[in-house]
Amino acid sequence: MTPGVSADVAALADRVRSAHANGAPLRVTGAGTWLDGGQPCVAADHLELAALTGIVAYEPGDLTLTVLAATPLSAIQALTASEGQWLTMDPHGSPDGTIGATVSTASSGPLASAYGTPRDHVLGCEFVTGTGDVVRGGGRVVKNVAGFDLVRLVTGAWGTLGAITEITVRLRAKPEQDVSLAVATLSGAVADVTNGVREWSHRSAFRPLAMELLSPSLARRLTGHSEELLLVRIGGNSTHARAAVDAVSSLGTARDIGHGVWSQLAQAEPKGALVFRVSALPSRIGSLFSTASALAEELGGYAHATVTRGIVRCVVPPPSEPQAVDYLCGQLSALSRDVTVAGERMSAPLWAAVRRMRSTDALSLRVRSTFDPGRILNPGILGDA
Amino acid sequence: MVELAARLAGIVGERRVMLRAGELRTYESDGLPGYRSTPSLAVFPGTRDETIAVVKALAASHTSFVARGAGTGLSGGALADNVVLLGLHRLKRIVAIDGDNARAVVEPGVVNALLTAAASAYGLHYAPDPSSQSACTIGGNVAENAGGPHCLKYGVTLNHVIALTVLLPDGEVVTLGNPDGESEGYDLLGAFVGSEGCFGVVLDATIRLERNPQAVRTLLADFASVDGAAHAVSDIIAAGIVAAAMEMMDNAAIQVVEASIYAAGYPVDAAAILLIELDGAAAGLDDDVARVAQFCKAAGARAVRVAADPADRARLWQGRKKAFGAMGRVSPHLVVQDAVVPRTRLPQVLADIHHIGVRHGVNVCNVFHAGDGNLHPNIGYDANDADEAARVHAAMGEIMQVCIDAGGTITGEHGVGLDKLPYMDSLFTPDTLGAMCALRSVFDPERRANPGKVVPVHRCREWLAAPAARAGHPR
Amino acid sequence: MSRGAGVTTPCAIPGTPLADARAGLDACVHCGSCLQACPTYLVLEDENDSPRGRLDLMRALVDGILPTSDPDVRSHIDRCLGCRACEPACPSGVPYGHLLEATRATLTAERPNPFIVRLILFAFARPALLHAAMFGGRVTRALRLSRLLARLPGRIGFAMAMLESTRSPLPHRTYQPRSDGSRGAVAVLQGCVMEGLFAETNRATSRTLAANDFSIVEAPGQRCCGALHAHAGDIDTARTLARANIIAFERSGAEVIAVNAAGCGAIMKEYGVLLADDAAWRDRATVFAARVRDITELLASAGPRLGAPVPVTVTYDAPCHLLHAQHIASPPLRVLAAVPGLVLMPLAESEHCCGSAGIYNPVEPETSERVLEPKLRHIAATGAALVATGNPGCLMQIGAGLHQARMSARAIHPVDLLDASYAAERS
Repeated sequence: MTPGVSADVAALADRVRSAHANGAPLRVTGAGTWLDGGQPCVAADHLELAALTGIVAYEPGDLTLTVLAATPLSAIQALTASEGQWLTMDPHGSPDGTIGATVSTASSGPLASAYGTPRDHVLGCEFVTGTGDVVRGGGRVVKNVAGFDLVRLVTGAWGTLGAITEITVRLRAKPEQDVSLAVATLSGAVADVTNGVREWSHRSAFRPLAMELLSPSLARRLTGHSEELLLVRIGGNSTHARAAVDAVSSLGTARDIGHGVWSQLAQAEPKGALVFRVSALPSRIGSLFSTASALAEELGGYAHATVTRGIVRCVVPPPSEPQAVDYLCGQLSALSRDVTVAGERMSAPLWAAVRRMRSTDALSLRVRSTFDPGRILNPGILGDA
Repeated sequence: MVELAARLAGIVGERRVMLRAGELRTYESDGLPGYRSTPSLAVFPGTRDETIAVVKALAASHTSFVARGAGTGLSGGALADNVVLLGLHRLKRIVAIDGDNARAVVEPGVVNALLTAAASAYGLHYAPDPSSQSACTIGGNVAENAGGPHCLKYGVTLNHVIALTVLLPDGEVVTLGNPDGESEGYDLLGAFVGSEGCFGVVLDATIRLERNPQAVRTLLADFASVDGAAHAVSDIIAAGIVAAAMEMMDNAAIQVVEASIYAAGYPVDAAAILLIELDGAAAGLDDDVARVAQFCKAAGARAVRVAADPADRARLWQGRKKAFGAMGRVSPHLVVQDAVVPRTRLPQVLADIHHIGVRHGVNVCNVFHAGDGNLHPNIGYDANDADEAARVHAAMGEIMQVCIDAGGTITGEHGVGLDKLPYMDSLFTPDTLGAMCALRSVFDPERRANPGKVVPVHRCREWLAAPAARAGHPR
Repeated sequence: MSRGAGVTTPCAIPGTPLADARAGLDACVHCGSCLQACPTYLVLEDENDSPRGRLDLMRALVDGILPTSDPDVRSHIDRCLGCRACEPACPSGVPYGHLLEATRATLTAERPNPFIVRLILFAFARPALLHAAMFGGRVTRALRLSRLLARLPGRIGFAMAMLESTRSPLPHRTYQPRSDGSRGAVAVLQGCVMEGLFAETNRATSRTLAANDFSIVEAPGQRCCGALHAHAGDIDTARTLARANIIAFERSGAEVIAVNAAGCGAIMKEYGVLLADDAAWRDRATVFAARVRDITELLASAGPRLGAPVPVTVTYDAPCHLLHAQHIASPPLRVLAAVPGLVLMPLAESEHCCGSAGIYNPVEPETSERVLEPKLRHIAATGAALVATGNPGCLMQIGAGLHQARMSARAIHPVDLLDASYAAERS
């Protein structure tokens, strides 16, 4: 037994070691909410992490939290809320999704505009490599440059470099005021509306916690409004929040919509929907959102843009007809020539259409063969099959 | 070596290859002059192409090398011990500033403060602001994942690098990160930032700039006890006030600064001062200022004052930023430490550090990023006094151990380099150190880039020697 | 690798000026704050040509790691402009200028200065020779030979351009101001180059002082200030000249001594340090030094009084020995502000050296030219017609650079502009 390694993790490590010895691939699973994510993954056996739930250490004064990897985000939010704090990671999907999955897939949501993605939150983690070594990268303090950064390496690696078993994250104190606004009557062409929002955010002295522009059908589902709608979240003291609300009102008719809208947005996608993100230089967000939301709406889906980050997320129902698949493939392939297309949940032909070699450059292959020489952890999930 | 020198001179010109003792002297140390190593030769390419050609020539002859920017590092990381020193400070072009997307593309030798100066025309600045910002280079900042006071709110170097063009030690050029959208696949960019020159050399960096805040307020709070100051920091953060910076200086540090040309008007009888900066939209900022002042007073501050104007503000900051240099005034030699502890442990750790100083009869000055719990205990001493030097060394070892025991780490922004190597074993497990060695080998299989730094060599040998045995090893 | 290399070993060069100054070396913590302040580092891109690098070399001499005969030590020490821009950048307060002079004095004892340096220093220490040389210069200038010869490449051409640039860009002025003498008696340092090639500026100095109610007294017997000698390591000659000046100015009965050449003013304010080891002169020198003022300090203390409009665009370049050595930043600007109609354009990097640095230009022409290059670029960017700067070396260096670059801007002393403004009141 290695000191500092729990019996559960030691057992997992044994499991991986023997899988490595036998060349038997493993699908790493937690709550199971992400099993349709990533590229097709071929593994007969599962490496179940679901038992790894619970708080390891929570010191509110330090604004840091250490939890086992399969702890649901909802449990973390409930715990930290009692101290007036929150974990500012808000990935799309069920609140019962685990922090391990969020970090492994580097999933983020609207709050990333202000607080960054998981790589900006994770201070340390423990993971089991593809050879069964138990590695602890980073630490429990908010600033740390001791040694090479293994934490960033496994964040967003989709489990292929190691199964994350424990995570320490940075928390934040909740702002005194936290206001969610819906801004309507953003008149004009979609690209102009989008650019208008972006320019406002450049000009404005205020830095909203989130600014998400919704395509009409998404707006309709969330609020009943049937044009593009801007959701804005503002934090700060009451003077600040009042002034920020006034400033946002220059963009259109703003009304307080309550925080519920954010969890509705996070859980808006129907089961089985195809989800992909397109991104480019932020200055191109106008045309990007215009193109991508038109495509999504045309296919019966919706899109929303994280305007300041230059990212549009598209959700479309899976096409049933082969022609429809071909059409979407053609569209994605055309898009991916010009902008970055990242799949979240897609079908095999769509993944092929994107033709992004996510992890097949020489360095990435070397990383993979170093930490998982037998390629037994989630093989294929990064298009590396 | 003479043959290699001739080959390199063919690339960069005679003047830019140095071999003689009189030329190498200043390149023997970085910002931590307690260490000194003589390079076998030093080479200073002036362009990207020259840099690539130099690294290829080094690869062809399997020669180890150490990259160096302005030599302001504080961990001995840029020391070349009988290997080639590759100076990159001549690559100092700001290639482009894109005001609309708030980013810049810069060569590695661009000086941190000069990037901010150039960005100011666009209402932007480069947020990470290490105290050496007037001299240190972006390449060095990337290598060390440099921080600074304003990283409390804005994040460290890692959070400001969008993409890097990297020259691997074998001469291959790769792009890490995605300048045109979301980054995908393994976060090799994240792994590279902070790799202390062991993974390769930055040829250019795409940098995220921050928009200048509409308003800034700088407060100076004067405390009769270090403990009170530490509590004020925790209370402010707990209240959800996001300060841009929260810096603490103890009495010893205050005395040093006030005796220097950077005397900032700090109260010389204070046990500690906090320098707190709030920035952002003007609306509501003064409400936060008032609350911060209240928290300080409630925690025992004798006085809190707000900088009257930009000149006053600059003066308050200058004292903080130049504190380390100012210590050169009071004692001939200096050790600078860099450890991080959980913020709630600050009062206890500071008290322990004080006791360690007293016990060893050494004078510890603390000047540090209190908001992050990032301590910089400095000890001025006279290295001629063998007894005092030994006591300083012993005290530093104990101070680091106190920080580790408090759940902290051995470096928050200076890097491991040479100086922190001895502490790595007590911070990380053998498997973790082994994984670090393995990661280094991904980028630099021959381990020729900055050899002997960051991870203790014995750990690499053990781990890499026996992967099969380890895999089958019962636990 | 070695640890604790800062340990002071027994001094390898006992009894030398550098050995005496070694405490100053200990203050350097190698932080690198000086690098970006150093003009030679910026253009030569070698840390050996930076203050930190040179301090390392000085320490290597003291520690016996490098011999005083080391050619690298020599060339990097020689290449220092002595502008002292590193001093305000240094948080540890390293007395760089003092260490540089001590190092040069130590090296000079070992190996004499190059011929051209010795020739210049020799001439400046001998009034008859100096006057003859300056007379030759004025004749060359009057015959417009300097304009012709300035087209030659290399050192001769640049030297002639320097000479050519000393021709005043303003019309000759002859007004006689009235002074009530209420601000006290002032003696003006005539200076070698100032009186030799900028006599008009010396007259303007006296007139503007009078116009601001100072009374001017003569100080016969005054000599070269000795700055060039001190910077080049010839401390003995510098001390001899300092003593002569102290005697001459004491005799004049002046309360303060006005200096319109920043380089001269800087050394005269340091006579106390220069003669610190001379018990018989130390106190006198200290008292004397405290009475030395730059002309712009004196004028600014009196306002100065506003003159008549002179419509012209001007940019200001700070002489290193005014800004870094004497810490005088705003008085020259106040002098310019007293000229109605004068539009002041800000000059980027005005705190950087122009490359003149005493006799640096003839000794290190290549580096000098490279240091000058960005200065000319920034001047061009201002679009100003005149570049004001209060030191003869800078006036000639910048003036020659402008001339050779065929730029229309001209260099001028700030006092000349104020004088022109006062003269304009009478026309």
